[in-house]
Amino acid sequence: MSEDARTDGPSRRNFLQLAGLGTVAGGVAALSAGEAAALEPDQATGPGYRETQHIKTYYDSAKF
Amino acid sequence: MVGVGAIAARQYSSSAEQELAPAEPVAEEDRLRAAAYALLARLLVRPPTAESLDEVRGLSGDQSDLGQAYTALASAAASRDAETIGREYHDLFIGVGRGELLPYASYYLTGFVNGKPLAALRSTMRDLGIARDPSFKDPEDHIGALMGIMAGLISGGFGPPATLATQRSFFDAHVAPWATHLFGDLETAKSAAFYRPVGTIGRLLMEIEETAFRMT
Repeated sequence: MSEDARTDGPSRRNFLQLAGLGTVAGGVAALSAGEAAALEPDQATGPGYRETQHIKTYYDSAKF
Repeated sequence: MVGVGAIAARQYSSSAEQELAPAEPVAEEDRLRAAAYALLARLLVRPPTAESLDEVRGLSGDQSDLGQAYTALASAAASRDAETIGREYHDLFIGVGRGELLPYASYYLTGFVNGKPLAALRSTMRDLGIARDPSFKDPEDHIGALMGIMAGLISGGFGPPATLATQRSFFDAHVAPWATHLFGDLETAKSAAFYRPVGTIGRLLMEIEETAFRMT
């Protein structure tokens, strides 16, 4: 990640912390944990198009 | 018009460097942002299954506006089954001929689907190395697809998490100009019941994001 990732100054962090992102209990913990697990990038393949687990999950969930 | 599978992968400019860099932990605020986007994507790309409805019923927010909207969504989920919500989704977004709402950037910005905003989005997606699943025929500028892209950029669904500059640029170009309007329409749509708090969550998240990105 390059330096411009660090343009995230304290004021933005503070705002987001105070803005109330709706810190959630219960289900959302499970939901975000599930998302996090599903977001593992596939490190085995090179750069370019990667079929990560997230992509597969996204595809599956988008199907009727 | 249901499945919007607008996601594939992110291409890296300097892959070797990226491979060696240790994964940066995603900050708590960003985890919550990504979770909110992911929730919206899940519920907007298609109606929830019985299993995902169970997860939604378990949501419990804090006292903030967004937290209260999560709690409202949980109770809206508790009093409905997946079949009922599926019918509501159909009335809202699919309909006979068309649904009550057309949740596409191009429609909101130009009055027509498949217009220039869609072309601009496709160009950005090419630059980011994000492709839609070719098995889905719906335009990529569907609100659910855009929420999914934001979630993936923040939490690293397409590779390492995108920089804030990239997130902001995508948000400013493709989300901010219309998403708040769509979510407001969803909150007041005639057919909406379960999807009203979804609209509220979306509108509040868009407001928070717009303010926060201006601080970058």
